[in-house]
Amino acid sequence: MSSFDALMGGFANALQPVTLMWGFVGCFIGTLVGVLPGIGPALTIALLLPLTYHVPATSMFVMFAGIYYGAAYGGSTTSILIKTPGEASSMMTALEGNKMARNGRAGQALATAAIGSFVAGTIGTLALTFFAPMVVDAALAFGPAEYFSLMMVSVVAVSAVLGNSMLRGLIALTVGALLGLVGIDLQTGQARFTFGQAALLDGIEVTVAAVGIFAVGEALYLAWQGRETKTGEVMKVSGSLWMSKSDWSRSWKPWLRGAFYGFPIGAMPAGGAELPTLLSYYTEKKLSPNPEEFGNGAIEGVAGPEAANNAAAAGVLMPLLTLGIPTSATAAIMLSAFEGYGIQTGPQLFSSQGSLVWTLIASLYIGNIILLVLNLPLVGLWVKLLKIPPPWLYAGIIVISTAGVYGAGNSVFNVGLLFAFGLMGYAMRRFDFPAAPLIVGLILAPMAEQSMRQALTISQGEWSTFFTRPLSGSLMAVAALLLIVPPLWKQWRSRTSR
Amino acid sequence: MTPLHVAMALVSLCGVAAWQVSLIPESLMQMTVGPTLVPAVVVGGLALLALIYGISAWRGQQADESLAEDQSALPGANQRLLSLLAGGVAFMALIVPLGFVIPGTLCGVGVARSFDAPVNAKSVVICALIASTFWLLFARILGVGLGPALPMWF
Repeated sequence: MSSFDALMGGFANALQPVTLMWGFVGCFIGTLVGVLPGIGPALTIALLLPLTYHVPATSMFVMFAGIYYGAAYGGSTTSILIKTPGEASSMMTALEGNKMARNGRAGQALATAAIGSFVAGTIGTLALTFFAPMVVDAALAFGPAEYFSLMMVSVVAVSAVLGNSMLRGLIALTVGALLGLVGIDLQTGQARFTFGQAALLDGIEVTVAAVGIFAVGEALYLAWQGRETKTGEVMKVSGSLWMSKSDWSRSWKPWLRGAFYGFPIGAMPAGGAELPTLLSYYTEKKLSPNPEEFGNGAIEGVAGPEAANNAAAAGVLMPLLTLGIPTSATAAIMLSAFEGYGIQTGPQLFSSQGSLVWTLIASLYIGNIILLVLNLPLVGLWVKLLKIPPPWLYAGIIVISTAGVYGAGNSVFNVGLLFAFGLMGYAMRRFDFPAAPLIVGLILAPMAEQSMRQALTISQGEWSTFFTRPLSGSLMAVAALLLIVPPLWKQWRSRTSR
Repeated sequence: MTPLHVAMALVSLCGVAAWQVSLIPESLMQMTVGPTLVPAVVVGGLALLALIYGISAWRGQQADESLAEDQSALPGANQRLLSLLAGGVAFMALIVPLGFVIPGTLCGVGVARSFDAPVNAKSVVICALIASTFWLLFARILGVGLGPALPMWF
């Protein structure tokens, strides 16, 4: 069956009323969490994981996809109206979009962000539709050794390339790996790092760690600072939301360029959304006939980065769906949701769960349309949400986090762990340790260990198998380069700048 | 708390983890890699990284947001932290005997207090509404097991 036929089958499923309803709920929740500061898609999906026992897999993943895309849309509203980028990838939108809002053009800034997100999201989803099967075909040649090497590339890239310090990234990754090894060893049945506690035999729940670090940790950090006690200034959205002819002609090229930066970089391990948004912003500044407008509210500075941000969101799904490799915290939590359903991720996902994957991809197209319809007409509601006073906002976030973790297994021990992870998240935030490597390490460490042991069993104990198999060796070389090149580059740059 | 304290905490964590690795029994099954190798490598790697971090922190090269001008904590930081954590402790202590809503409300009040909201009837009512709404949404509509809303005897 061709990709096109499979996609049409996906549309037939995704357009079923119940599935469509879950997609709509996901888009609504996603936009809501994107708009609200202090709560992001990773945290929301982690909180909703307990529902995986009650809702069919297809509906749940359609909702998760809606949340994921919706959060990318919603983030622009916060950036434009209160200049608070929820994520680093929204920084450029906050810079130019808020200036546009201050100049009385909030409506046009929101419109170019929403339409650009739609255009780029659709281009990204098209690329995912047609490139994913090619990656799957290539990945079917992967054995355990190649998987282990690929995971090494992923963890090294996420820890060493992202964040402000490679050392702190690697520490976060290693602590995550250590936490991932807690519990029963699947091959031998031996308990590891359990301190004799029966509650730890099943390992540490990803939900508990993610919610603790993202929700409780963030709330503890902001409470410690004491600066987040009043609602910030929310810019008014007055006049028309519609863009003028000049706004359209200044926006369409940045949308396309943003999409072409976003998807390929988002699909790379550790590519993320920050780099394409920055690249898009500086490209637009360079190409603009009015570069002096940048920093004072240039529409291209909102259109390009927002498009890049949304296309990168589609790109991140590529390694997750084709290889089972998460390259962001949200993708890591989605991977854990697949595990919750007992679904084996990796290239076989397209053959064993073809209907689910293609429904998910089809729902991304539909989600983009829902989000476009949802975002602009409901802007008044989103503005009201931004006016919720922080004490009630964070009380709500912590109570829902606690309810989510407690509801997953009625375990008071897990609620204790949630607050312990919260303290860890606070310390990580304060001392600038990135959170994503910890979550990725927590999920990938046990998987990498299994692949390594399988590869060594197949090679009869020959460690060289990771380096002598051409694909595995190449991936190991990439991992080594990712580890070595950035610090050398930094050193070279500092020497030449002297 | 400084980066040096973080380094010391990491080294202590490595010590505890190394002790736990020493307790893992070797498997009787014949295999190339047993259950201890990967944990030992991870703990060793973390110890090395913690030492490098410690040296770097000792030289004053590690970040601490509390030293940044617009990021430093306002007075009363510890009380605010403790207030939030007290909300969590209240939830853990009371969830089994009192059901979800009362511990959820107390947890919410603790969190709101940590963001400088006063502890008064208004705070209690708002937090009770938040806890009740989430109980209805999760337990009643979505079927997540949060236990009863109120104590059984109530």
